[in-house]
Amino acid sequence: MVSDVLRARVGDLAARVKGEVEESLGVLELTVNYPEAIETLIGARNFADVPCDFLHDLCGMDLEDHFEVVYQLSSLRGPQRLRIIARVERDNPVIDSATRIWKGADFLEREAFDMFGIQFRGHPNLKRIYLWDDFEGYPMRKDYVVESHEQRAIMRVRKEGE
Amino acid sequence: MTIEGTQEYSINMGPQHPSTHGVFRMVVHLDGEVVTGVEPKIGYLHRGLEKMAESRTYTQFIPYTDRLDYLAGPHNSLGYVQAVEKMMGIELPERAEYLRVIFAELGRIASHLVMIASGSLDICGWTPWSYCFRDRERILDLFEMTAGNRMTPNYFRIGGVSHDVPDEFMPALKSFLDDMPEMLEEYQGIFFGNEIVQSRMKSVGILPKELAENLLITGANLRASGVQYDVRKAEPYSIYDRFDFNVPVLYGCDTYDRHFIRLLEIQESSKILRQALKDIPDGPVMAKVPKVIKPPAGKVYHRVENPKGEMGWYIVSNGTTKPARVRIRTGAFVNVQMLSAIIAGWKIQDLVTIFASMDLVLGEVDK
Repeated sequence: MVSDVLRARVGDLAARVKGEVEESLGVLELTVNYPEAIETLIGARNFADVPCDFLHDLCGMDLEDHFEVVYQLSSLRGPQRLRIIARVERDNPVIDSATRIWKGADFLEREAFDMFGIQFRGHPNLKRIYLWDDFEGYPMRKDYVVESHEQRAIMRVRKEGE
Repeated sequence: MTIEGTQEYSINMGPQHPSTHGVFRMVVHLDGEVVTGVEPKIGYLHRGLEKMAESRTYTQFIPYTDRLDYLAGPHNSLGYVQAVEKMMGIELPERAEYLRVIFAELGRIASHLVMIASGSLDICGWTPWSYCFRDRERILDLFEMTAGNRMTPNYFRIGGVSHDVPDEFMPALKSFLDDMPEMLEEYQGIFFGNEIVQSRMKSVGILPKELAENLLITGANLRASGVQYDVRKAEPYSIYDRFDFNVPVLYGCDTYDRHFIRLLEIQESSKILRQALKDIPDGPVMAKVPKVIKPPAGKVYHRVENPKGEMGWYIVSNGTTKPARVRIRTGAFVNVQMLSAIIAGWKIQDLVTIFASMDLVLGEVDK
């Protein structure tokens, strides 16, 4: 259940960052464009009475024509929940990093970079996290072609110094 | 030969070091014996479960979820099947809910026992290890007699559980719970009361409350740093709101407390199990679900309290039989970051106990 206070706060924030508010299965969802992402996150974090100050999850999402970075916000001190979705361009997938707000966003952003190729501006160490450094392509994108068994069976040749 | 001071150097620990609890590699930067920094390198067990989910139907993906945190299989599946049920609006029969809670809590106890056991093994204590594994075996026997598998039971289905438990299950569970107080006393005495354990673990690897919240640490590690937060209480899923149990919290923030809180949680879990055993009704174990699982288009984010931390399932459906996106937020993956944040200044021997206290399982870290 969404409380009226939270609904009002999200409404105010949406007007400020030019976002759209939706509700799905009892959770408010605020969609913004990528330049406003950090302002939105800070705004949600500093809500009066109902601060959404804990970043529960951050993940990428491919919608064919654009990417999304999905932030699941909650709080350790209240029942408030909020989902913030930042639209990212497909040709130029850049968004500001949330590591300045939450240090723990580090690995989550690295994973989104690894799987979707979304660049997080200002991230301290944006490297692949699961896959090896010279892996080509971003496997969670919808247009990624999964290689055949024959191809996969070829052993990767180690580079000198590895 | 003269030694002029010390020199910084880096060594690799893992990916198969016994104290890394799986295929985890860390590059340890050392100044003499003192650790100056750690870079965790993960991905050795990466199976791409999120990608796999997109090419499988909702039902076909259930067995994979068990393999995330393979020490506590049932709770992972619980998060997934509940997320799908939430989308489809399926109501469960009572008995199925109770069986789910029983399995989930048994999994939690098994996972915490492994944590205490391997923690003691890391400081060369063999006896506590054998005690914990002896008792964990009884839980795995319960899984086996019901589902056929010991560690990854694959017992939950969308809309209930696959079949009812056999007749001998409840008596065996009851005798396990009856022996529980004695077991806990044993662990207390042999592990937590041990002088070596206390001197190796107390005041080691302090994770302050503010840092823990900033690092997005969840689960028992957060509760050992003084934050009383548990999804089972904060956002009750399944039927957890019916049971009377406490959320233990400790304020030591150190390695010892991160171990000790697991013992307290075992105690609380057994409390839940006793109540569930008393109240469980008879009846069907499966709701009426359509043959083809096809949730309406939409998004859902469902959180459960896994033994290793909070697990979140973000499922996006486009109205077909296969999900458009399944995102798994695992507690252990985020908790890994704790290591490099608090390690500076401790010695290699402390690195081992601090690592053990984080309670990672690499299946969950690497997905």
